[in-house]
Amino acid sequence: MEFLNPAALYALALLPLAVVPYLMRRRPRRLIFSSVLLLRELAARATTRRWGRLYLPPVFFLQLLFLLLLLLALGEPIFSVRSLNVALVLDNSASMQAIEGDKSRFQMAQEEAAKILHSLPPRARVDLYLSVPRLLPVTKSPVPSAEAIARLSALKTFDLGEPSMDYGAELERLAREKEYERVYFMTDHPAEGQSATVRVISLGRPKGNLALTAFRVGRRRFAAPQLEARAEVLNFSAREENFKLAIKGSGQVLVSRAYSLGPGMKVEASFENLPVHPYYAAEIAVGDGLALDNHRFAVPPPSGGLKILAVSPRPEALASLRSIPGVELQIISPQAYEKGGFEPHALEIFHYSAPAALPDSHALFVLPPNRNPLVGVGPAASRPPVSGWRDHPVTRYINFALFRPAYARPLKPGGLGEAIIQSPDGALAVVSEQKNFRYLALGFDPFPFLGRQNLPVSILTLNLLEWFHENETANAGATGAALYPPLRAGEILLGPDGAKIGLEKNSASFSRTYFQGIYQAMSGESKRFFAVNLDDRVESDLRWPTAIQLREPSEAVARRFFNQSLWFYLLLFSLALLLLEWFINPGAVRRREVKEPAGQSDDFRWA
Amino acid sequence: MLPAPFTPDFLNRLEVLRLRTRKDVLGNRPGAYSSPRRGTSLEFADYRKYSPGDDLRYLDWGIFARTDRLYVRLFHEEVDLFAYIFIDASGSMAFPSLQEKFTPAANLALALSYVVLANHDHVRLHSLNGINPTASPFYRGRQRMADLIDFIAAVSPAGALDPAPCLGRHLKHLRRPGKAILISDFLVPVGAYQQGLNVLRAFNLDISAIQVLSRAEVEPALPDGALAVIDSESREELRLQWNATLRGEYREKLERHNRELKSFCHQSGIDYSLYVTDEDLSGFTLETLPKIGLFR
Repeated sequence: MEFLNPAALYALALLPLAVVPYLMRRRPRRLIFSSVLLLRELAARATTRRWGRLYLPPVFFLQLLFLLLLLLALGEPIFSVRSLNVALVLDNSASMQAIEGDKSRFQMAQEEAAKILHSLPPRARVDLYLSVPRLLPVTKSPVPSAEAIARLSALKTFDLGEPSMDYGAELERLAREKEYERVYFMTDHPAEGQSATVRVISLGRPKGNLALTAFRVGRRRFAAPQLEARAEVLNFSAREENFKLAIKGSGQVLVSRAYSLGPGMKVEASFENLPVHPYYAAEIAVGDGLALDNHRFAVPPPSGGLKILAVSPRPEALASLRSIPGVELQIISPQAYEKGGFEPHALEIFHYSAPAALPDSHALFVLPPNRNPLVGVGPAASRPPVSGWRDHPVTRYINFALFRPAYARPLKPGGLGEAIIQSPDGALAVVSEQKNFRYLALGFDPFPFLGRQNLPVSILTLNLLEWFHENETANAGATGAALYPPLRAGEILLGPDGAKIGLEKNSASFSRTYFQGIYQAMSGESKRFFAVNLDDRVESDLRWPTAIQLREPSEAVARRFFNQSLWFYLLLFSLALLLLEWFINPGAVRRREVKEPAGQSDDFRWA
Repeated sequence: MLPAPFTPDFLNRLEVLRLRTRKDVLGNRPGAYSSPRRGTSLEFADYRKYSPGDDLRYLDWGIFARTDRLYVRLFHEEVDLFAYIFIDASGSMAFPSLQEKFTPAANLALALSYVVLANHDHVRLHSLNGINPTASPFYRGRQRMADLIDFIAAVSPAGALDPAPCLGRHLKHLRRPGKAILISDFLVPVGAYQQGLNVLRAFNLDISAIQVLSRAEVEPALPDGALAVIDSESREELRLQWNATLRGEYREKLERHNRELKSFCHQSGIDYSLYVTDEDLSGFTLETLPKIGLFR
């Protein structure tokens, strides 16, 4: 037998209180008798008898049984066949690392899972699942419960947020497809509703937390020589928190400051003139609910400025870019680009050319050909006027009254693109952001006209370089996202714990970044650092976890023979007991009808 | 005004009764009861040698003829009866109410008194209680029934009763032994009522004991549950859980108590009878009491 609402069973601990009214020794009814001579011995015997002082009438036991049944009914018991095919799903998201007393929520989940496994019959077969990065089995095939217990201890949490999915529906689907008789989900989320198959075991309590939600190290301008760090701390608790924020470079504290942060507030801290280190870490020294988000990592932008790879059949038109400080320009032909083999760059400029697909880097398309993956291209126009523009970093400081490109081909933005400069014939500039990469398509060529002679175009060029650079300084990836730039051939990857990570053959994109920290790509003496951080504020907010909605799917009705609900019968039986008590103990009514002769008794009336 | 049970028919039937005594009594007037003194009744008692001056009518000439000696015949003296009716007026006699216990007991005493008065014998009522023990004068003749009613109406049951000392105070001024009738509930320890009855025996009285209990004492209709039972005399309080089991045990103890009382009375030559007050007074007086030999 199981209980759909086991919390109600805690009320069973209050059952002994039912004896309290009997212990309180209600004031006995006083009456006068001619002589207590014959009663004296009876009274003495009653008080010396076992339980003599505490007189528990049979009605008390009826009342006790009635309360017991009522509480059991509230617990919504179901009679269930002992499951033989069971799935145990452990939530291994970042919030499960929160400490509850002396152990983490995930350790509690492991213990709960072990208890369930111990209670299973020997023939039971178990599948273990982890919910993060997505709902996947740990075991390839169902294993006996003893083996599942052994495997439990090897499971660990990932520094990942939870995937956005309806756990209730997903677990029901899992149970249906795999024909599990029971699916247990150990998580820190509460559950609402009930399901015949899915049992959610909620662990942990809501608590406050302080989290580092952002940390970047970069240059204010792409040409600036100094580094600055920016960190954001959010207070997910109901009280003011005092903490110390420290910035570390290669493990050494560079600077620290103390802050006080009100409930629900955030603070953005900026640290300038940082010395150059291969990687940086921000730390807040506070003992809160989740230790994971008290650290955050970053690597500085490349020291050589903005590295640009220009793909152009007309390399001379791009030469003017070299005159911009902080820009490292490499120009190749479209044919060379197709061959590949070049180093990754912060920005790729496709000048009168376009790749077959959007590149995995920031890219600028200048007068792209008709066949390009970003925009549609219209017929050529001569000196088109600018009819409108959007407020965008690329359009800042530009006097569009003076902006008249000599030659242009209006663009038609695709589904994800957005026109930021418009002419009567179509868009002159289209921006798009996909997969953390920024793409900009221009319907005119600004590069031949850089200089004082054409200030609006020069400002536009600087703006777009700044815009690409701004995103380039966001040099920390999120856990679970692929490392960027991709790994090069022959590089060895080390995880945050320093252990070597085996890569699949020809795999340049490593996306199993499940742990927060600094990853190192080593090739001979050279090292590249990648900062990976938990980038999910929901995981840091431990106050009000969203509830998992359990619903009884219609298909499960047919399987209800496994789970016969008993609460209705218990309720019925308890009501029958109540009626029985009514019949056998109607004294309270009768006593009021008894009369007393004058001057005889204090409170009892003789019939 | 006679109490309700004293109907003309009941009175008529009482008038034909006469108290029976097992012992000779000392009266001061001729009557129907045997006296230890020699007198002039028809009942032969003994012979005595003739002394000069003896009445020659009592000479037994037959003995003189056989033995040539003079003897006179002696006869018992028959005197009137002095009856003492003791009625328990302790607090317990007011339980559960005066009407249900003391009044029936008083009516019984009046009925017995009426029997005595109707036979021109002497009767005296004594109220026994620890607070104000009183006694009426001796009354004789039916016309004094009203005085007895007044006396008994003035008695109010109260206080505790220790039978022996209380009876001792009443008997201190006893001059003429006679018939003693003790009407009480006898709900006192065995030793206490035995002492009391022994006091009566010591005064050479012919004793009858009538135990009066109300129905509420024989079959207590106490409510089940926690009770604080208070003694009507001593105000002692007992806590008990009243239930069917205790009710049965109480009945057994009461029966044992009554059995012991009856046994003691039997051994001591005392007439005993139990009167439960919801019984008809005339039935008890005219049927039960003759059976125990109270009347002849």
